[in-house]
Amino acid sequence: MQKRLFTLFLLLALLVPALAACGGEAAPTAPPQTGGGGQAQPTQGGATEEKLKIGLVTDVGRLNDKSFNESSWNGVLRARDELGAQVDAIETQDPNDYAKNIDEFATQGYDIIVTVGFALGEATIEAAKKYPDIKFIGVDQFQEEEIPNLAGLIFEEDKAGYLAGALAAYMTKTGKIGAVLGTDVVPPVWRFGEGYRVGALATKPDVEISLVYHSDVGLDKAFTDPEWGKLQANSMMDKDVDVIFGAGGITGNGALLAVAERKDTGVMAIGVDTDQYYTVTEAQSVLLSSAIKRLDEGVFDLIKAVQDGTFKGGNFVGKVGLAPFHEFEDDVPEDVKQKLTELEQKLLSGEVKTNVSPVKP
Amino acid sequence: MTKRREIADGMKTRIAPLLASVQARLGPLAGMLRPILVPFLAVVSALMIGAIVIAISGRNPLLAYAGLIDGSWGSGRAIAGTLVRMTPYVFGGLAVALAFRAGLFNIGGEGQLLLGTLAGAWVGYQLALPAVIHLPLALLAGVLAGFIWGGIPGFLKSRTGAHEVITTIMLNYLAIGLAGWLLNDNRLMKDPSPTNVIARTPLIAESAHLPALIPGQDAYPSASAAPEIVHWGVVLAVLATIAASFFLWRTVWGFEVRTVGANPSAGRYAGINVPRVITLIMGVSGALAGLGGAIQVTAVNYRAILGFNVGYGFDAIAIALLGKNNPFGVLLAALLFASLRSGSTRMQSLSGVNADIIAVIQALILIFVAADQLVRWLYRIRARGLEERTTLTRGWGR
Repeated sequence: MQKRLFTLFLLLALLVPALAACGGEAAPTAPPQTGGGGQAQPTQGGATEEKLKIGLVTDVGRLNDKSFNESSWNGVLRARDELGAQVDAIETQDPNDYAKNIDEFATQGYDIIVTVGFALGEATIEAAKKYPDIKFIGVDQFQEEEIPNLAGLIFEEDKAGYLAGALAAYMTKTGKIGAVLGTDVVPPVWRFGEGYRVGALATKPDVEISLVYHSDVGLDKAFTDPEWGKLQANSMMDKDVDVIFGAGGITGNGALLAVAERKDTGVMAIGVDTDQYYTVTEAQSVLLSSAIKRLDEGVFDLIKAVQDGTFKGGNFVGKVGLAPFHEFEDDVPEDVKQKLTELEQKLLSGEVKTNVSPVKP
Repeated sequence: MTKRREIADGMKTRIAPLLASVQARLGPLAGMLRPILVPFLAVVSALMIGAIVIAISGRNPLLAYAGLIDGSWGSGRAIAGTLVRMTPYVFGGLAVALAFRAGLFNIGGEGQLLLGTLAGAWVGYQLALPAVIHLPLALLAGVLAGFIWGGIPGFLKSRTGAHEVITTIMLNYLAIGLAGWLLNDNRLMKDPSPTNVIARTPLIAESAHLPALIPGQDAYPSASAAPEIVHWGVVLAVLATIAASFFLWRTVWGFEVRTVGANPSAGRYAGINVPRVITLIMGVSGALAGLGGAIQVTAVNYRAILGFNVGYGFDAIAIALLGKNNPFGVLLAALLFASLRSGSTRMQSLSGVNADIIAVIQALILIFVAADQLVRWLYRIRARGLEERTTLTRGWGR
């Protein structure tokens, strides 16, 4: 046993210098692969034998962050399962590496590169211009000018907010609902908040709405202030508000937690972005639903569009909706569920409009 | 216990003669290589254990390390990326090492570097000057900001005895808060263009750009640029290393610093103004970190952005430790850390190994360097003389 362990060590000790030697050789072997991919691309045309190669670059953070990165990655994984694509991911460790990480996939002959998050927007635009043959998908990156090989996956948060507002208005017993939001300087937050207001009023014109934005502080604080979120939610609940929509990163999560602390009084909370039943587990017992952006579906649809040859540059509007009711499945009346489903259809088709301006006027 | 002994004995019987023969063959060179023997073995051991960790997680360690090497040294661009990555590490590492030499533990490299980026960026975008003045002024602003941010704990230490570990850590938080405040308000330093929601300054003027080493190469980078073009900052880093070495061993000030580091009481008896040395060396230490920050702004990012260039000041402590507080050791250690970081992209894409393994390897290197007795015992190396024993800090207080 000891002998074997020692041999292992020795073997590894020998491997390290050997590796240094292969480094030189690995360099020549890698490019031919790239060259192979590169050659296949132009001649590909109708030949569909080539596997679609998809690379995803995260923002600084984890692939399994239960939020943006993970949702987008799920869309890529679906492309692996359903379209037989080869998928890989790079987790960004340092913001200085955004462009480098995108380049890594670009130079290795990948067909599609997905970049996740607003912060990678500029690096993605640059890369798209540099590599016109590669298709880029920028999650949450609004495109001001159209680049043919870059699609920004954006969302109409006002519609998700509208649905959340309608749900809150249907479910409130006191006739008072609230929302605790990040700063309205950030357009998606503004759209969530105003959509919520409009949706609630359209459902129940006499509903009383308390809605607060955390606009009094800097951007770094607006989304990372759970104490403020808690304070706001508590003061709302003191005034008989019984459904609270928390939207604004950890600040919004603070509101959800505050509601969870008073679960005995029958208050409910609505989460945001992803199904927060899985991300704020402490609030499971009060979480009515979440106003979600279907990132995974949007990413998958765009990948599929590349395969089908229908991919277009510019902005691609992803779907929004409500997450499952989970523990409130039996509490939400059937007719409300029915109405919400109809409303979702009408919102997505454009039959019902929210009339919320995209950014704060 | 017996197991371990047997392994160790195995090491002794097999590796020691190997080392001896290498030493014999290299002759005089061996004497020069001796100081880097322990750090080198620490790195080797860390890589071996890292390989085991990768294997346990079900990935191929060979592929991972091949990716690491290819990604950092496999092509011209890769090498450029590694060198650019190395630059802030060198400045941060030198900052920590110089303070160490005076017996001071500067944990504030992070804040000093951050202040350097802010000052460099401010001069870069606020002023309009010809390049010959503008660029040096931007770098000087970084130096000055770092000098002040490092000098404060030095002053407090020498006047009141406030321990520099505490004060530098506190000043890190102050620097982060200050940056958040300045970069989030467009009446202060935030880029006021209407579409901008990111906490960052406007772009600096072109006259404040630190040019690429090979002229004409800097056409590509912009705000989010790939730092893969070797700029003059790399040369400055090497020059700073030489200067730091010269300072420590060829100047009176360097002698004073080392004397204070070795024994402040003896220094005092010898007529050295110990409080002044402590204040100044902390200032110089901060200035180096600040210069590193200003170089990041003028050569890589072209603006200060909240959340960018974060963590370099902390890595710098590890780099100084690995480099045994010798400027050239710091240079080598910075190169190693930069290689690990810059190769991690290729490693991830090639082998699917999570980039966290880099942090694991770095931590292991640190354990082996800090507890160098472990390495000596493992590989049966005897310490020769006092010179080779590392004393990191003498303890608390003055």
